[in-house]
Amino acid sequence: MANLLRKIFLADLFQGLWVTFRNQNPKYIYTEQYPAERPKVAERYRGAPRLNINPDNDETLCISCNLCAVACPENLIVVGWERNEQTKRKDLTTFTYDTSRCMFCGLCEDACPVDALELTQDFEMASYTRDGQIWDREMLEHGPAPKAYRS
Amino acid sequence: MPESTFLDSTELVLNMGPQHPSTHGVLRVILKLDGEKVLGTDCVIGYLHRGVEKIAENRTYAQFNPYVDRMDYVAAISNGLGYCLAIEKLLNVEAPPRAQAVRVILTELNRIASHLVWLGTHALDIGAITPVFYCFREREEALKIFENYCGARLTTHAFRIGGLQYETYDGFEKEVLAFCDMFLPKVDEYEELLTNNRIWAGRLKHVGVLNAEECKEYGVTGPVLRAAGVKWDLRKAQPYSGYQQYDFEIPTCENGDTYDRYTVRIEEMRQSARIMRQAVEKLAAGPIMAKVPKVIKPPVGEVYVSIEAPKGELGYYVVSDGTTQPYRVRVRPPSFVNLQALGRMVAGGLVADVVAIIGTLDIVLGEVDR
Amino acid sequence: MADEQKPAGSPSPAPSGAGGVNPKAGPAAGAPKTAPPKPAAAAPPKPPAIMAATPWDSELARDLRDRFPDQIGETSTYLGQDFLIAKPDAIISILEYLKLEADFDYLVDITAVDWPKKPERFELVYILYSFAHNRRVRVKTSIADGYRPASAVGVHLTANWLEREVYDMFGIEFAGHPDLRRILLPEEWQGFPLRKEYSIVQQDERWVRENLGIESGQ
Repeated sequence: MANLLRKIFLADLFQGLWVTFRNQNPKYIYTEQYPAERPKVAERYRGAPRLNINPDNDETLCISCNLCAVACPENLIVVGWERNEQTKRKDLTTFTYDTSRCMFCGLCEDACPVDALELTQDFEMASYTRDGQIWDREMLEHGPAPKAYRS
Repeated sequence: MPESTFLDSTELVLNMGPQHPSTHGVLRVILKLDGEKVLGTDCVIGYLHRGVEKIAENRTYAQFNPYVDRMDYVAAISNGLGYCLAIEKLLNVEAPPRAQAVRVILTELNRIASHLVWLGTHALDIGAITPVFYCFREREEALKIFENYCGARLTTHAFRIGGLQYETYDGFEKEVLAFCDMFLPKVDEYEELLTNNRIWAGRLKHVGVLNAEECKEYGVTGPVLRAAGVKWDLRKAQPYSGYQQYDFEIPTCENGDTYDRYTVRIEEMRQSARIMRQAVEKLAAGPIMAKVPKVIKPPVGEVYVSIEAPKGELGYYVVSDGTTQPYRVRVRPPSFVNLQALGRMVAGGLVADVVAIIGTLDIVLGEVDR
Repeated sequence: MADEQKPAGSPSPAPSGAGGVNPKAGPAAGAPKTAPPKPAAAAPPKPPAIMAATPWDSELARDLRDRFPDQIGETSTYLGQDFLIAKPDAIISILEYLKLEADFDYLVDITAVDWPKKPERFELVYILYSFAHNRRVRVKTSIADGYRPASAVGVHLTANWLEREVYDMFGIEFAGHPDLRRILLPEEWQGFPLRKEYSIVQQDERWVRENLGIESGQ
C-alpha cells in the first residue's frame, strides 16, 4: 500500500529533485575559470622538466652522468658532454629533452644524483610545431614562458 | 541464431561504435537485429592496441612500471600495484608494512575513483545526467590526493618495485580521513537519486542477466561475478599487500542482473572507505622501501600474480630469463575477459539494453586492447 | 635502477628534494650502467640458468600423474606456485579432468611464451583456478612452430578470445576453434608481433600505407 502511494505521488522523483536542490548550494561549485584563474597544482606535480642551475654562480648543476637518459623508458633525453682537461670532469655541452614523447613518469628525476633535472609545476607546454616540443638546454634551464591571461 | 526472423523480415546489421559515446571508448559492436531484438553481437576491438606486452620485453623492469598505468587508466594505481607485486614475488621480497598500508589506502581510493567513473558514465548511458557531475566532483577529491601524493592525477606511477618512491606528505592521513567522511554521505546521495528511481530500476532490473555458472564459464570476475552470488574477492581469497589485516565485507547479490551489479559496486565503495580508515590507523612509521637492488635482475623463473582490480582479477604472468629486462609479461586484463560475456548477456535483449550492459560491464578499452 | 632507497622514515620530502647536496649522490653516480642504452635492441636471452623449481608434491599432482602417466612430464612448484608440464595432445583432456574431477572450473588465462632457440619454440600456458579449493595451477606445454594445438573452447568458453589473442600475437593456430580470427590487430595484418624476431619498431608497412595513407607509423 505504501509502495502504491509512493508510486502515485512520484516519491522517487521528488526524492531525486530534493537531492539536486540541496546541491544548488554555491559552495559546491567546482568549476575553475582556467586561463583567467590559475589552477593550483600540487607541490609534487610532475610537469615541465627543468635543468636546475646553481643560483650562486649560474652554472648548471648537471654533472653529465647520463643516468637520466639511461633511466628514461622512452629514451628521450640526450646528454652531450666533453671532458674538461683541467678539472678532469665532464662538462655539459648539450641537453635535449623531447617533451612530445615524455609521459612524466618521473624516473629521470628519481635517477638524478644531484637534483639537476626536475619535473616542475609548470604545465603549459603546448607548442605550434613538433620541433618546438623538443627542448634544448636553454629552454630547460629557463622553463616555458606561458602567456598569462587576465579575466 | 534463428533461421527466420519475426514476420520473415530481414535481419538488420547495425554497427555501433567505435565512435559511439556509450561504448566507453573505442569499442565497436556489430549488432544483428530483428527489429528491436538483438540476435547476435560481434565485438571488434583493438583500436587502442599499443602493444604493451611487446613494450615490456624491451624495457627494464623499472622502466616498464609507468606503462602499466596506461592500460586501465581510470584505475592506474591498481595496475601499478599488480605489476609491482608480481616483480616483488619474482625477486622474493616484500614491501615493508608502511608501504603496504599506503598502497592499500591508495588502491582503495583508486577503486572508489574507478567506481565513480563507472557510476557516472553508466547513469549517463541510462539517461540520468545528474550523477555524472556529482561523481566527478567527488572523484576530483580523490585525484587531488593522488596529485598531492605522487604528482600525477591519472597515470600516477605511484609505486615502485619493492615499495614506494614517495613518502606520504604532511596531512595525508587527515586528507584521506576527510575524504572518507565527506564521501560516505555522498554515496547515500547517489543512492537517493538512483536506487528507488523507477526509470533506473526499470532499465536495469532483469537486464543482462549472467548467473554464477555462466560467469565461471566465461571467466568473468569482479563485481559482475559477485552480483551473481559468488562471494569471491581476491583480497579475501588470496590476500596481498596486507589485506588480511583489514576487516571488510564482500558485497554480493543473487540475481546477477544489471541492477545487482549497481548495488554491489555501490556497496564496494563503502567497504573501500572502511578499509581506508583502518589502513590509516595502521599507518606506522617505518621504511617504505624493501631491500631491492638498484638494477633489478630477478632470477630465472616465472610467476603469476593477480590482484582484485576494480574491474576484476588483474593478473600479471611474468617470465624472467635472468636479465634486466622481462622475457615476457602477460597481462590478464579483467575488462578483456569480461567483455567476452557481452554476447551472452545481450542475446535476446533489446537494442537499448546493449548500452546498459556495456556500461554495467565497466570496461576500459585501454585495458581491453592494451 | 631508478628505485632509489629513501632513508627509513624520512619526513615527507618533496619528490624532487630540496636541492643542494643529495645523500644518494654517491652510490647512484657510481652505479654501473647495466641497462642497454638502446632498449630497442632486445636483450639476448641468457641460456645457462634455469628456473629453480622444486617438485610439487600433493594429492592433486599424484592424481594427475596416475591419470596421465605418460603425458605429464613434470609437476613442479616455484615460489609457491604449482605448475605441470604436459604433452601438447593431452592438454585438453587434462583441462577437462581438472575441471570435472578437481573443480578447477575457472580458466584464468591462456598465453604463450616464445623461445626461438628451443626446438619446440612456443610454450603454451593455461592458468586455472579452483573456487572450491582456492588454488591455482598452471598447465604448460611446448609446441613447435606450425603445430596446431587443440582448442580449449569446448571445455571453457572463455578460451575463445584468449586463444584468438594467442593466435593474433604468436600465430599459433588452434584446431577446432570456432572463430579463429585476429582480435587486436587488423584482420589483414601480416606478422605476429609477440614473436621474438618481430622487432619493436617493426610493423606491417603495406597495411599502414594502404589503410592509414601514411608512409610509416614511426
